[in-house]
Amino acid sequence: MNWTIETGDLTKRYGAVTAVDGLSLRVAEGEIYAFLGLNGSGKTTTMRMLLGMTQPTRGSATVLGAHVRLGSREPWSQVGYMVETPHAYPELTVSENLEVARRLHPGTPPQAVGSMIERLGLAEYAQRRAGVLSQGNAQRLGLAKALLHQPKLLLLDEPANGLDPAGIVEIRELLLELTRRQGVTVFMSSHILAEVSRLANRVGIIHQGRLLQEMDIAELEHNRRSRLLVRARDIASAQRVCSSAGYPGEIHGGALELKQTAAIEHPDQIASLLVQAGTPPTQLVVEEEELEQYFLRLVGANGGTQ
Amino acid sequence: MKILSDMLWIELRKALRSRIPLWTALGSLFMPMGIALLIFAAKNPEISQKLGLISVKANLVAYSATDWATYLGLTAMIIAAGGFFLFVLAVSWVFGREFADGTVKDMLAVPVPRASILLAKFLVVMLWFAALSLLILLISVWMGLLMALPGGSIGVMLQGIALVAITACQVIAVSMPFALIASVGRGYLLPFGVAALTLMIANVVAIAGWGAYFPWAIPGLYAQGKDALPPLSYLIVILTGLAGMAGTYLWWKYADQNR
Repeated sequence: MNWTIETGDLTKRYGAVTAVDGLSLRVAEGEIYAFLGLNGSGKTTTMRMLLGMTQPTRGSATVLGAHVRLGSREPWSQVGYMVETPHAYPELTVSENLEVARRLHPGTPPQAVGSMIERLGLAEYAQRRAGVLSQGNAQRLGLAKALLHQPKLLLLDEPANGLDPAGIVEIRELLLELTRRQGVTVFMSSHILAEVSRLANRVGIIHQGRLLQEMDIAELEHNRRSRLLVRARDIASAQRVCSSAGYPGEIHGGALELKQTAAIEHPDQIASLLVQAGTPPTQLVVEEEELEQYFLRLVGANGGTQ
Repeated sequence: MKILSDMLWIELRKALRSRIPLWTALGSLFMPMGIALLIFAAKNPEISQKLGLISVKANLVAYSATDWATYLGLTAMIIAAGGFFLFVLAVSWVFGREFADGTVKDMLAVPVPRASILLAKFLVVMLWFAALSLLILLISVWMGLLMALPGGSIGVMLQGIALVAITACQVIAVSMPFALIASVGRGYLLPFGVAALTLMIANVVAIAGWGAYFPWAIPGLYAQGKDALPPLSYLIVILTGLAGMAGTYLWWKYADQNR
């Protein structure tokens, strides 16, 4: 297996504070790996260590087969990145900022600037100074700089930050296209969990510097709690019927909440049961736990939220 | 060579697009023009009396700049003191702005050698210093011609220009550590504070008689030209410049960039 990113016991301490604690992860070629965590959980510090901007206190990181060291040059011709808020030279135009990025990646053809401006929808702003761009367009410029030299690996910190819904969809499609057509690997952090579930193949959840869980997106969907909400004219009676049939539940907001897997997977059986008992349901809804709720439940169970 | 020319293009574009070169140019205009105004005031007692306190300074300046040789010496001293602050501003901007604006991140994980990026920055700073020094010299000469100073033979002029040029080179060298200070301080404030403190210490050290061995006092002593400086002074200036450049390189290459 070719690992595009591989870390072993990656740890960063700032005095008494442990920002990242023994992080070991692997990201395969062509994968979109989403790194989820609350503010201050260690996502950005991890990115900085992967980019050789910060020296790990312990452990190692390998990117595209090259061992990452502070000030190293080896893998960066094939890596595009955007760490934290994108920054640009405010006095230079969008086009000039991209020209700066192009010259920092020798071998990138001059026409790449124009085509990236088109691709990221920045044509209207090409000759505008970067200092006057909206947050969304500044984000687009940051992404354009990361993509300009056609990297094999993209490290993106909150790529959808500041983008409007149309922009989010556009960037999602762009990243999906890059992975499908060009086999680009994406390692991204995000707090827009719904977006992560649409985009990522695999998810790593980091909390207080430690990797709590790593799973593929199907596993994540499976782990999210579901419930069957039953509404009936006589809800107390429906609760008794279900309970006596082995489906105990609680009443919340006028609806009976059943959490048993059998009930969730076969709501038709619950409907039959209630009809036969003379308390026919007026509504049966299978509700899935929101990704945000799942995430908070997970980090809450591992030391509480910050 | 292609990489270095690309890095030079980047640094020149950033400098030319910003307003800082204009501000430093304006600052460098004011210094010789101010001195010329004081000389003019001292030579015209009716204006001098109206100026009150300024006339005392004007008389002092006029006394010390009665001919081209002393006047150009005064220009060299302007570069050693006032010019030093302008140079610190330029070097702080070229290096510190990358940290203040957060753009340094875009330069850290790139295939271009860190040395090329920094060399281009130092070359632009040197070019900038040279242009400011030339501007100060040209304005000074123009003012001197307007005031019709005596003793302006070619030999005196060349000697004066050489004094200005060598002083400027020394100031360039002793300004280099401020690239490191701007990088460590991640902005503009720390280098300015340190520059002010350094000049104060330089004055005290010079008064105490050890100025020839304190890097930031040496250009001023050289510009005054009262006593010949020992060769060690020139070595100290060169080593200060090299240490500043080397320290900046090591910082950019090996320091944790965690902000």
